[in-house]
Amino acid sequence: MAGDVSVEFWVATIPFVPLLTFPIILFLGQYFNGKDWWKNILKEGGAISLMSMGVVLILTSMVVAQFIGEMHHGQGKDILDWITFDVLRSDGMTNGVNLGFGIYIDHVSLMLLFVASFLCFLINWFSIGYMNTDKINDNRNHRFYAEFLIFCSGMLGMVLADNFLWLFIFWEIMGLCSYLLIGFYYEKPSAASAAKKAFLTTRVGDVFLMIGLIIMWNIYGSLEFDVIFGWNYFTNPVDMTLLKTALILMFIGAVGKSAQFPLHVWLPDAMEGPTPVSALIHAATMVNAGLYLVARMFPIFTGTADSNLIGDLADVGIIIAMIGGITAFMAAGIAFVQNDIKKVLAYSTMSQLAYIFTGLGAALWFASKGKSELALFALGASLFHLFNHAMAKGMLFMASGSVIHEMHHAHHHISHGEHEGFDAQDMTNMGGLASKLPITSTAMAAGSMSIIGIPLIGGFWSKEGIIAKVWKAAIYDGGYLLFIPAILLLISAGMTGFYMSRMWFMTFAGKPKTKVAEHVHEETPWIKFPLVILTFMTLGGIVFASLHFVNWVSTGHALHYDLVYEMKHAFLAMDKEGVIDSTFLILTWATIGLSSLIGPIIAMSLYGGNLKDGEKAIPTVSWLVKISGMVRNRWQFNNKSLAESGLAEALRRRLYFDDLYDWFCLKIIVPIGLGAALFDKKGIDGVIKGIESGSQSTSTWIRKLTTGSARDYIMMVALGSLLLVGLIWGMV
Amino acid sequence: MAYDAVSVEGIKYLLPELVLVSGILTLFIITNLGDAKIRLPLTRLRIPALLGGNRFKWNSDPRLPGVISVFTFILAIAMLIQTLGGDTCNDLVEKFCAETTILTTTGNNPVDLLKLDSFSRLFELMFFLALLLVSAASINRLQADSNPSNDDLDQLLDNRRQVDFHLLLLISGLGMTIVAMSMNLFVLFVGLELASLPIYVMVAFHKESKAGTEAGVKYFITGAISSAIGLYGMSLLYLWSGSLQLSVLEATWAAMATPETLPLFGISLLLVGFGFKISAVPFHFVAPDAYSGASSPVAALLATASKTLGFIGLMRILMIITLPETGDAAVWMLAFGILSVVTMTWGNLAALGSENPKRMLAYSSVAHAGYMMAALVAVAAWKNGSFVENNSGGVMAVELIIGAIIFHLFVLISFKIGAFMVISHLETEDEVTDMSSLHGLAKREPIIATSMFVFMLALAGVPPLAGFMSKFLMVTGIVQVASADVLTNTEIDLIPTFLGMHWTFFLAISIFINSAISLYYYLRIGVLMFFEESTTRLPLPKVSILRFVILLCALATIFLGINSDWLVESAIEAASTLFTNS
Repeated sequence: MAGDVSVEFWVATIPFVPLLTFPIILFLGQYFNGKDWWKNILKEGGAISLMSMGVVLILTSMVVAQFIGEMHHGQGKDILDWITFDVLRSDGMTNGVNLGFGIYIDHVSLMLLFVASFLCFLINWFSIGYMNTDKINDNRNHRFYAEFLIFCSGMLGMVLADNFLWLFIFWEIMGLCSYLLIGFYYEKPSAASAAKKAFLTTRVGDVFLMIGLIIMWNIYGSLEFDVIFGWNYFTNPVDMTLLKTALILMFIGAVGKSAQFPLHVWLPDAMEGPTPVSALIHAATMVNAGLYLVARMFPIFTGTADSNLIGDLADVGIIIAMIGGITAFMAAGIAFVQNDIKKVLAYSTMSQLAYIFTGLGAALWFASKGKSELALFALGASLFHLFNHAMAKGMLFMASGSVIHEMHHAHHHISHGEHEGFDAQDMTNMGGLASKLPITSTAMAAGSMSIIGIPLIGGFWSKEGIIAKVWKAAIYDGGYLLFIPAILLLISAGMTGFYMSRMWFMTFAGKPKTKVAEHVHEETPWIKFPLVILTFMTLGGIVFASLHFVNWVSTGHALHYDLVYEMKHAFLAMDKEGVIDSTFLILTWATIGLSSLIGPIIAMSLYGGNLKDGEKAIPTVSWLVKISGMVRNRWQFNNKSLAESGLAEALRRRLYFDDLYDWFCLKIIVPIGLGAALFDKKGIDGVIKGIESGSQSTSTWIRKLTTGSARDYIMMVALGSLLLVGLIWGMV
Repeated sequence: MAYDAVSVEGIKYLLPELVLVSGILTLFIITNLGDAKIRLPLTRLRIPALLGGNRFKWNSDPRLPGVISVFTFILAIAMLIQTLGGDTCNDLVEKFCAETTILTTTGNNPVDLLKLDSFSRLFELMFFLALLLVSAASINRLQADSNPSNDDLDQLLDNRRQVDFHLLLLISGLGMTIVAMSMNLFVLFVGLELASLPIYVMVAFHKESKAGTEAGVKYFITGAISSAIGLYGMSLLYLWSGSLQLSVLEATWAAMATPETLPLFGISLLLVGFGFKISAVPFHFVAPDAYSGASSPVAALLATASKTLGFIGLMRILMIITLPETGDAAVWMLAFGILSVVTMTWGNLAALGSENPKRMLAYSSVAHAGYMMAALVAVAAWKNGSFVENNSGGVMAVELIIGAIIFHLFVLISFKIGAFMVISHLETEDEVTDMSSLHGLAKREPIIATSMFVFMLALAGVPPLAGFMSKFLMVTGIVQVASADVLTNTEIDLIPTFLGMHWTFFLAISIFINSAISLYYYLRIGVLMFFEESTTRLPLPKVSILRFVILLCALATIFLGINSDWLVESAIEAASTLFTNS
């Protein structure tokens, strides 16, 4: 073990805490399933895993406390050494290579570390309420918690790894666990195929990522962050075309993991997993992995910009922003027509992640043009949006889980155990739940507002930052191609306002649409706590904005300065130099108007409505319900023709992407696969079998030479001596 | 520093060997203490003579000799560690290293006899560790009955036979350390025979079994012939140079303008002697017979320590005497290249069809010898004049290769001995003559079976186990050496690069292919243990010390694979002393 036992060493233990705990749960579960104490005291492993995640959270908090104030970048290299060797490069020099686990802490990894461990802890808490109270999970929850823990360790390890190789290893661990978790109810064919779909789709991206990493290795001779980030492009010029290719290939990996167009098809289906899994995969962790990877490319862009190389990497930034813009728009459109509460959230996730990608694309674009101040702001805004989105979406998924759970219970209660033909996730079965689920409805309202970007709440700050910076790149700094994502983002902001409001009003406002919805109660233990915590986290986005999040990666301005800057930026659209720009003023208010007024108002007029007479929601949300009732009464309009149009149908069919991919797989991949199988059986297996039988018969033959008689052995020695003498003579 | 070998200054460098000698004496004396009395002449007075007569209860315990020999080896290791360190290497935490000291003969014209440096000390450590494991495992293993059951003392061979066995082990150890230190071919030969003769006896130690006796005799005859051929080669060398001192031979060889008949003959014949020790094809034929006839701990010794002896000899001769500094290729390069490929392929192919686990392990050990020989050839390729001499990178590659061989010999102790110990454990139940003994072992003895699987994976070179590291280092070294020429002169372009490689590159390819073949029979052991049904579900008889050794070996195999830094550094340090101080 090289290096001192320092704070870095303790940081490196973080991913290993869950990794070492999971076998305990698995084995205990295997032996003690059905035992009373295992079920009630240890919650079938949930309590153990919660403790483990608690330790992780404490360690993480210590790390955050250690590093948050300072601009210091912590790094512990080679915490666990494995192999060290030299690679002979083409110029005859050798490169020392070490394949070992080390950690790399900067503001990016620190934030993701906090997000991951904080949300994993809360989701674990929530799972105890959600999973353990459902009969269907009895005696197999230990499997859930064990997989949950490996997943967490994958995420934490990925965030902390100090090179792309280990990042990739943990990335794949997550991929495996997402497969296992989505397919948790493997006896359901839909869950099994959703798991397969998620695994295979992300695999497509992973292959590209791996090729990209190999090219990176070829360029830099190393995959370690400090080698790549500290590369001197003046003394060691690199091939820009090659580098561009590598970065784009790596981005495709990120596209797969973060479910962006065109590899987005797995995410909605992944909702087949238990709701905590949705929260885990879609909010807290796995989908952020792709964003993290792209954010990690940032120093490469600034490095190449700050060199005398010919050409720049601006194209990569544009491609990333473009993909982001398209996904944001497309996913928001599809979310318009979804009736499954979790699917709405899934598409919303895609759309919001696309915002972050666009912001990152703009940041990378700025960086490649050498405009580091703007680049850092765009990066900060994107990462801040990542934070806001993770908190809000984690909560929304848990809240939707609460709704589904209570709906399920209510249905169970009414129909005495008959489950046929009732979909507890369908929003057309809900309505008017605001009075029955006070905490859930409040949490969901706060989360939705954060996602929409209602002024002064959570996601507002970051979304404004992203949109403004993309527009700035498009208008003032010559990134004309960025107009496309910029416009798409603006429209999507309004669409977000609509579909998030639609979800809330369909679920919580109006009269109950079914008998089941009338009998819902908020009673399950363990579920409320994470919702309450996260409501405050979400509403308090501004507090975190002031805590250096936005300017974390930059030179570190004073606390109040950032706060004021945010405010100015949002309402006065002032430049850093203090010049008020009318274009941005218009833009800002257009965004606010679209997302917080037009979108929600249309949603209210279509889906709003007062509660059933005599029912009363808690004050935190009752005003919302009342406004929606007022709006609906005044501006009710008929959207029947729109709802039955071809566009709506196309959206319902998810723009035919799934059909297209199915067709492609069936008509092209499957025949190729069959051909490959045939070749494998006849060709390769034939050769292998031939080799095998050949070696077996050779083996028999040469073993016959071992006669067992010392006389023969001596003769062999004599012959060997002659052979040696002859060969050595022959050589001379 | 050079000292007289028999002076006080000199002798203190030989403390580990002195410990072995005193261990031998202790074993003699302690186990012979008895109540014999001598009557003083002309009187009736009888005084106790202590030696002879009926022995006391405490020293007729059949486990006592084993315990003594274990403690001797532990003490020897402690003494060894005590001699380490010095001015140039004070950080043993970083790597294993020792000051270089030369011990000479007495007189005005001292001749170098023994050299103590990182190289020889590391090998001493290897020998002591191997012997320690073997003697520890033998404490409860030498049963009178070939089909014994447990820790029951009555089942063990009697004390006398035990004394013989452990005495032979200690003497053999003494010979081994002499080989490790020798600076003179004559001393080396004496050491080699001192180490080998006890092993011949140990192979035939179970005189009750026909196979053991036969194997021992066969092994002895073939070994004697090979030794004789080697000795003949040595005498030719002496005839040629007038000295058997390595440094003198090296100088004479370097001064030789054109290759002469006499030394070439001498070297070739010498290689036969060592070729037998490392069981290279075609000198390996007796190895499977010897391994399967001997008891498993002895076979383990044959596969590790005895093979290491041969490699020390080869390294001394090939690397010190005959390796040209620049200019032509080493004379033995082609011969050894061919032999190495034949050896690894033969070993693996023969192992493929072996139904006897011990023979399988014997052939696998032949294959491993082939890998290491290939690495030796690559060293010659580096010094070959056709290569561009590349500043410091050159020495590094050579040291890496030799270091890899040393590392491999070291880690073999963990997993080769471990594998034989598992078979030894199986033999406590019944004789192991075919693979069916391993059937369903996983259900009977999960830990033992898992350990065995770890050993097999390590032998196959699967990461992250120790066997992978050594193979990886060897292949890295070979490829570095073979490709240095091409990579320094041309742009990276795959096909020309490939064709322009030195032919030693194909040794690396050969290692790859052979590793693939070998996986078949190593993994088959796993299949047999985990998926086949055995006739019985009962656990094996309880032999605690054997289990302890197996577990220790398994842990070491895993640990040395994951955290190999220290050992790799030490091996490379040892390799560099082989080159620099010669």
